[in-house]
Amino acid sequence: MNNEQLQTHSAFRFHGSWQEFARIAFPNLLLTIVTLGIYRFWATTREREYLWGKTDFIDERLEWTGRGMELFIGFIMVFLLIGLPFIVIQLVSQGLIFQGLPVLAGLLTFAMFLSLFYLTGLAYFRALRYRLSRTYWRGIRGGSDDPGFQYGLSYMWKTVLGWLPLFLMVPWAMISLWNDRWNAMSFGPHRFSANAQWTPLMKRYLLFYLVPFLIFVGAVIFGMSMAASGGTPDALGGTGMAVGGVLAIVAVLAFYIMLPLAALLFYSKYFRMAVGGLRLHTLEFEFRARAVDWVLFFLANMAIIICTLGIGYIFMPYRNWKFFVEHMEAYGEINIDELTQSQTVVEKHGEGLLDAFDVGAI
Amino acid sequence: MSTFFDVAHYDGQKAVKRKVEVQVVGPQFYLLENERCTGPFAFADVAYVTKQGEADVYGLTGHDGWRLILSGPVPSDLKGLLPAPRRYGGWVDRLGIGKAVIAFALTSAAAVAVVLFSPQWLAPLIPDSVDDRLGDALVGDFGGRFCHTPAGDAALQKLVASLDDAPQDLRVEVANIDMLNAVALPGGNVILFDGLLKQARSPDEVAGVLAHEIGHVRERHVMQALLRQMGLAVVLGGVDGNKGAMVNNLLAMSYSRNAEAEADAHSMQALGSANILPVGTASFFDRLAQLDGSEGAVKDNIGITSYLSSHPLSASRKDAFEKSIVKGKNYKPALTPSEWTELKTMCAQDRKAKSGFGFDFN
Repeated sequence: MNNEQLQTHSAFRFHGSWQEFARIAFPNLLLTIVTLGIYRFWATTREREYLWGKTDFIDERLEWTGRGMELFIGFIMVFLLIGLPFIVIQLVSQGLIFQGLPVLAGLLTFAMFLSLFYLTGLAYFRALRYRLSRTYWRGIRGGSDDPGFQYGLSYMWKTVLGWLPLFLMVPWAMISLWNDRWNAMSFGPHRFSANAQWTPLMKRYLLFYLVPFLIFVGAVIFGMSMAASGGTPDALGGTGMAVGGVLAIVAVLAFYIMLPLAALLFYSKYFRMAVGGLRLHTLEFEFRARAVDWVLFFLANMAIIICTLGIGYIFMPYRNWKFFVEHMEAYGEINIDELTQSQTVVEKHGEGLLDAFDVGAI
Repeated sequence: MSTFFDVAHYDGQKAVKRKVEVQVVGPQFYLLENERCTGPFAFADVAYVTKQGEADVYGLTGHDGWRLILSGPVPSDLKGLLPAPRRYGGWVDRLGIGKAVIAFALTSAAAVAVVLFSPQWLAPLIPDSVDDRLGDALVGDFGGRFCHTPAGDAALQKLVASLDDAPQDLRVEVANIDMLNAVALPGGNVILFDGLLKQARSPDEVAGVLAHEIGHVRERHVMQALLRQMGLAVVLGGVDGNKGAMVNNLLAMSYSRNAEAEADAHSMQALGSANILPVGTASFFDRLAQLDGSEGAVKDNIGITSYLSSHPLSASRKDAFEKSIVKGKNYKPALTPSEWTELKTMCAQDRKAKSGFGFDFN
């Protein structure tokens, strides 16, 4: 029994409405202001409870069981274990510069930078683990027994290796780290497997990489052809200046529009490849948003924020989650009898590190 | 007596959804499914988990993933036995949102007020030894940038002695740095930058600035500022990075304005008892006013700029210093012409003093 054949569409569905979300988001904003920001951990929790609870996977809602207190404790831990020591190190290294020991100060600063780099990677890993361990479906949760210390090292060397050949290996680093991260995660008794490929990303990455260069070359060719058809130097005098001015504006606009567009084009492919390489036992996943969906999504976000003079910012978690869920897809079948409880450890504190470094989870 | 209710249930071991009957027996209950009966469970162990769409979800302490899902209105008999739903989080739910907002706002205001005002009382309680050690750690020999010649040192010593009753706990130095500035640091350290000495037209001008910095030391402003900054960093730690830093700086700045006014008052008094004409200091501030352009602001009565700058308007300081002149008093120059020359040229004469901020690696 309980062998549930998945339909080929809408394994994930979202039932939320922005009006309902507003009734959570506005009190959250008020409480966050009067508590000088401390309430934001509880605010995040309430928003997630709503968003998860309004999300169907196949035939049952998701459930967010994280607590505001966990996030708060995580934040305090980061503040005491990382924030304070770093403030002290900064003071000490300033003192060392004053005392004429700049080499020692430099070394200290470099060590601080290295450990921050390491902790950033660790934070990405821990955040994903925390979120999976607090996400329940049919009373079953996810998680990982890996504390992520090894991942922190991988994050460092893979990121650096991605930068080394003039940033050309960045797509490899991104995909490889995504795979590392998800291969350590599990849901119920099943381990995720992530085998995303990075080579299909290279075409779009090179496009993004070459945009500034292409715009420059385009402008030069355009300018030369204008000059060639413009005739005598006299005729070029006045109009030539005007043409030059217009060209410069076009080039700047192209830079500010084309570059983000190229970045989105790359990112949409990255996310499709990354999610597409993900498996959980007999389930396969797909992310169906194409570049044009991403562009419309971002334009709408910008319009909302601008038209509401910034207040619309509080709806961004809702918009992000909705976009994510509505484009997620899963194929395959789940044997409900086989899906037993996860035996992974559950940390008592939340994504404090991630919070401190201001990075996203997935 | 026992009552029965139909609810959905996950046991947390498997993902199988069960329809069960809750049989209430006093403070305990059993779950009945066809022939199977599990329990007893204590209502005291039941915890509210989350709202899932329209359903309220309850868990059981110590049983990972164990769930009771009650859709629609909960029967009143059962409602009294189950924990109350959580909306905003513990404290807010207990107080009600209106009262909680007021309570949080008052607490926050009180916390900020304590942090802003308490350093005035706390700073004098910090033992001198801590202050001295901090000063030594920060200043040291300033990377060999202090200038010394026998005649210059003697002139500086005379100047300090005329301005302060206990010059032995001050350490005043001239640093070979071409900046129009002077600073007071912990441990009674006062540093005059060579650029200030070069710009000054008379020893009276330097005396006014030096007395101002000594004022900072005597009023314990440095330790106050350190405590205040640390306190604000903690209190506003919950606010997101940039906003927090901005609020922090604004608050700290408005308070350092007070400190500057106090240091000015100290300076005027010291100049008065040393029989040094404050008009030199006044004209020095006049020249500074021309440099920072604040004169116009005073004439137009625009006080806003003075709130955003940490020093009181140079022009208004000039007025204050001019008004402190006592008619008929027997003023004398702060230093003799030869002493003044020695002090002014001390850095030029001292070949061993390193210059500038250069972090030379030797």
